[in-house]
Amino acid sequence: MIMRRGQQLLLPANPVFIWGSLIGALLLNMVQNMGLWGRAAWTPDVMVVVLVFWTVHQPLRVSIGAAFLFGLLMDVHQGGLLGQHALAYTVLSFLAITIHRRLLWFTVPSQAAQVFPLFLVAHAIELILRMLGGGSFPGLGILVAPFAEAALWPIASIILLVPQRRAPNPDENRPL
Amino acid sequence: MPLGTLDRDPPPFFRQGPSALSKLAVCSALALFFMVADARFKVMQPLRVGLAAVLYPAQWLAMRPVLLAQGAAQYFSLLSSAQEAQVQAQMKRSELSQRANQVEQLSIENERLRKLLGLRDRLEANASSAQVIYDVADPFTRKVVIDKGLANQVVLGSPVLDEFGVLGQVTRVYPLVSEVTLITDRDQAIPVLNTRTGARGVAFGDMTTHADALELRFMAANADVVAGDLLTTSGIDGIYPPGLAVARVEKVERRVDAVFARIYCTPLAMVSGAAHVMVLEPLSTKIPDRPEPTPTPVPLKKGAQKS
Repeated sequence: MIMRRGQQLLLPANPVFIWGSLIGALLLNMVQNMGLWGRAAWTPDVMVVVLVFWTVHQPLRVSIGAAFLFGLLMDVHQGGLLGQHALAYTVLSFLAITIHRRLLWFTVPSQAAQVFPLFLVAHAIELILRMLGGGSFPGLGILVAPFAEAALWPIASIILLVPQRRAPNPDENRPL
Repeated sequence: MPLGTLDRDPPPFFRQGPSALSKLAVCSALALFFMVADARFKVMQPLRVGLAAVLYPAQWLAMRPVLLAQGAAQYFSLLSSAQEAQVQAQMKRSELSQRANQVEQLSIENERLRKLLGLRDRLEANASSAQVIYDVADPFTRKVVIDKGLANQVVLGSPVLDEFGVLGQVTRVYPLVSEVTLITDRDQAIPVLNTRTGARGVAFGDMTTHADALELRFMAANADVVAGDLLTTSGIDGIYPPGLAVARVEKVERRVDAVFARIYCTPLAMVSGAAHVMVLEPLSTKIPDRPEPTPTPVPLKKGAQKS
């Protein structure tokens, strides 16, 4: 197998963990909305980060269909235009699939720089759709969101790979 | 096989499913269809309600830490602030007591006068209380979610008030919650009456000047409106009962070249921090039906036989 130098060979991903993390991202988005910031435009969409992450790492399990479904759920939760997030996430997931073979050859910070345009495109799609649909401009805070999501990429790639980085043969000295 | 992973099963060689591009095409087309059906034809409410029912457990779960944190914050709030709030509430109550006591007498008087003049009785709206759970996340609109829904007989279009004035209108009803569009939303209009002059108008949500404001549109450039005027609901729309406070005029701009004056108002209700609200039943259910229009006589054609 051809791999980047110094990269650790990972354990197979657990599907339960993958889908659990996607649902967890949905819950995190809801908590951000319900408890922390209300309807601020700058809040990072955690769902976007986790979706791109799994589309890049496990394209056979999480891909465009899942992105569409979670987009619909986000739409229903947000109560905006039904299909707006679904379209944005679909396009995002497609772009993530087109770069998934290249992206993992880079270090994590430069991966974050390369997924940033994807997040930007997703937010631009939503903004354009809503402006066409007669929404009111939410303020320049919306520009902060893609940066915040790109900043979450390294954190996501640590947390979401933890179960796959465990030892293949745990013993007493190395229980995890 | 994903890069750098020890997967046990090799990736499928022949059955790889539809290509990413075709999936993109199908899903985007479906999303566009949903958007058009939702925005233009308004037929997606059943799907929305179904998905909302699926999503409700997740929302309930996400609310737990929020409620816990709020409860903890209340637990640690100072005694002095609680006492201050109580003093303010008492002051407000004593201010209102005089008016409240007069209402009984005035309503009896009003009823007798109406009987004397042969007018219809004033319509009374049934009210039920609700709680605002959270702001709707969509930053392009101004909406909140309240904790009463179809199960509590909330009707689409019901006016929603808080203790200071009209807050908005129920625009979507789910089984257990409902969505309230605030009066400051750009697409929300409310018929109002200037209590000083009696002139009626329509106020629209407006976010151009500052975050939460209203604009009284279509008032002539020389209309008698001054800053400080109180706007209440006019009651001619068949939805809102008359006389509920809506907004106060903040600024009037009269330009020479414009036909209409630009009138900015600030809402009296706490549009960004309301917690407890009242949901009124819309008056449209109680208004008598419009009388059947009398059939207009069809003019006889030239040459037709008169019977």
